[in-house]
Amino acid sequence: MSTTTMAAPTPARIRNLFAAEWTKLWSLRSTYWVLGVGTLLMIAASITDAIRTTSRWSELMEDLRARFDPMSVVLGAPSAALLMLGASSVGVLVVAGEYSSGLIRTTFTAVPDRRRVVLAKVGVVAGTMLLVGVVIATISFFASQAVLSSVTAGVSIGDPAVLRSLASDALLAPVAALVGMAIAALLRHTAASVITSCVVLVIVPSFFKITVYPWVDDIYNAFPLYVWRNCLSMLDPITRPYFPTVTGSWIVFAAWPLVGIVVTAVIVHRRDV
Amino acid sequence: MIEVNELTKRYGSVLAVNGLSFTVRPGLVTGFLGPNGAGKSTTLRMLLGLNTPTSGTATIDGKRFRDLGTGLRHVGALLDAGDVHSGRSAAAHLSALARSNGLPRRRVDEVLQEVGLADVARRRIGGFSLGMRQRLGIATALLGDPPVLLFDEPINGLDPEGVLWVRRLFRRLAAEGRTVFVSSHLMSEMENTADRLVVIGRGELIADEGVTEFAARGTNFSVSVRTPDTAVLAGLLATEGAEVTSDGYESLTVTGLTAARIGELAFHHRLMLHELATHTPSLEEAFMELTADSVEYLAGQPQ
Ligand SMILES: Nc1ncnc2c1ncn2[C@@H]1O[C@H](COP(=O)(O)OP(=O)(O)O)[C@@H](O)[C@H]1O
Ligand SMILES: [Mg+2]
Repeated sequence: MSTTTMAAPTPARIRNLFAAEWTKLWSLRSTYWVLGVGTLLMIAASITDAIRTTSRWSELMEDLRARFDPMSVVLGAPSAALLMLGASSVGVLVVAGEYSSGLIRTTFTAVPDRRRVVLAKVGVVAGTMLLVGVVIATISFFASQAVLSSVTAGVSIGDPAVLRSLASDALLAPVAALVGMAIAALLRHTAASVITSCVVLVIVPSFFKITVYPWVDDIYNAFPLYVWRNCLSMLDPITRPYFPTVTGSWIVFAAWPLVGIVVTAVIVHRRDV
Repeated sequence: MIEVNELTKRYGSVLAVNGLSFTVRPGLVTGFLGPNGAGKSTTLRMLLGLNTPTSGTATIDGKRFRDLGTGLRHVGALLDAGDVHSGRSAAAHLSALARSNGLPRRRVDEVLQEVGLADVARRRIGGFSLGMRQRLGIATALLGDPPVLLFDEPINGLDPEGVLWVRRLFRRLAAEGRTVFVSSHLMSEMENTADRLVVIGRGELIADEGVTEFAARGTNFSVSVRTPDTAVLAGLLATEGAEVTSDGYESLTVTGLTAARIGELAFHHRLMLHELATHTPSLEEAFMELTADSVEYLAGQPQ
C-alpha cells in the first residue's frame, strides 16, 4: 500500500472512543471484583437492616414506629458512605491508573484530542456507575420492602417520593465517581487521590459539624452526602430553615459532577504528560 | 516528513531542548543520537504533543500532532515500553487502542503476529520481560499502518536476535517509503541501521547529515608506529609539532602528523620502522568526540 504521504486528518469518532474506554474498563479483572462484590455487599446490608428492624419492631415505641422511614433501610447512611467511597475509588483508578502507569502517553499518542478522550472516559465511568447504582437501589428496595411487609405496610415504587429517594440512592455512585476522576486528574497519585476523595466526599459532610452558626449549615448543604442524608433519601424531607431543600439538593447533585468533568477536561488538556 | 523549528523546552532551570531545528525525510531511517540527557525523549514528546514547547514548533507533514484526530493512522510511536497497564493482556491493550482509531480487529492479530507475541497475546503484560514489552510497543506503533514512525531507544532490552529483527524492520519500513526516526544514545546501534543522523548534545544540534559524512568528521585520526628507536623518533616528531604518546615497548601513537610525513622523517634520519599504520576513527569515536563537550553525566566525575 502507498503510505508515503499522510492522509487528511480524520477526527476520532466519539463512538470509537467510548468503545475503547469500555474495553479498557472491562479488560481489568479488578473491575469485576470491585463492582460485583460492592453491589452484593450493598444489597446484603440492606436486607440485614430490614431483618433487624423487623425483629425489633414490637419493642419500638409508638412514635418511633410512626416516624419510621421505610426508605432508610434501602440504603443506610453507612452504606451510602461506603458506596461513595467505592465509587470515587473507581473514578480515581480510571484516571490515576493511566497516569501512574504511563499508559496516558500511549493513549494520547493514539488520540491527541485529549478532551474527547476525557469525554469518553467520563461517559463510560458515569454510565457504568449509574447502572451499578440503579441495580443496587432497585434490588435493595424490593428485597428490603418484602422483609418489612411482615410488620408494616411497605411503600409503592409508584410513589413520587419513593422514586425520588431511589433516584438519589442510584445517583450517589456516578456523582462520587466523577468527583474521584477530577481529584485524580489534579493529584495524579492513586493513594493521595483516594484519601482526598474520602475526606471531601465522606468525612467532612459526616463529621466536624458545629451547629452554632447558621452559615455553617449553608456550607454543609452543598455536600452531596449531606443533602442525600438530610433530604433526598427521605420519604418526608424536613422543611425548616437551614435544612436542604429538594431542589437545592438536586442542584448539588448536578453541580459536583459537572464541576468535576470541567476540572478533569481542563487539567488533562493543559498539563504535560 | 518531520519538521522541527527552533524548538525549545525549559523545565524550571533545566534547558532540556535549546533552539533545535532539523527535518526528517521519508524513505530513510534517520538516527536521533545524543548522550543520556541530551533531550531526545523531550523532543519526541513535543513532536507528539505530549509536552508543550516553551517556544518553537514541531510538525509532522506540516501539521501539529495535536490537531490530528486518529493519531495511530498518522504516526506510530514507541516512547517507553513501560507506558502500558500491567493488568491488561497484550490483546486487550491493543484492542482498546485499535478501537479508539476505528481500526479493524484484524490489525491486532496481524501486529501481534508480526512482532512475535501471538502466543502470549492473552497473558497479562505484567508478566512480560522488557524485551517483550519493547515488542508490544513496536506492535502499538505499527497498529495504524502509519506513514511516520518514531522509536525512542527501541533496542533496550532486546536479545541479539531481536536487535537484528528490529534493524530489518526499520529498513523495511523506510523502503516502503515511510519516515522512520529512531533515537539512541549508542552510535553502534545506528551504524548499520541509519541512513542519516541527527546528533544532539545538551539540547542543541551538533550534526544533521548522512552517516558517511558524519564518520568523516572525526578529525582525531592517529598513527601507530613501531620502531626500536622510540626515544629518537619521539624527539623528532615532537619538534615537528606532533603529539606523541608511548604505548609501551617499541610502540608510539602519534597525532597531528600523517603516516606519510612520519615515514619521510624516519627515512631521512635512517631510523628503522617495523610498523606504520593510520588509525581512522570509527563512527563511535566520531560521535564521542563530537559530543564530548556536551556529555551531561560523565562517569566518575562529580556533577
Ligand atoms: N519532566 C521533566 N521535568 C524536569 N526535567 C526533565 C523532564 N524531562 C526531562 N528533563 C530533563 O531534560 C533533560 C533532557 O532529558 P531527556 O529528553 O530525557 O534526554 P534523553 O532522552 O536524550 O536522554 C535532562 O536533563 C532531564 O533531566
Ligand atoms: Mg531518553
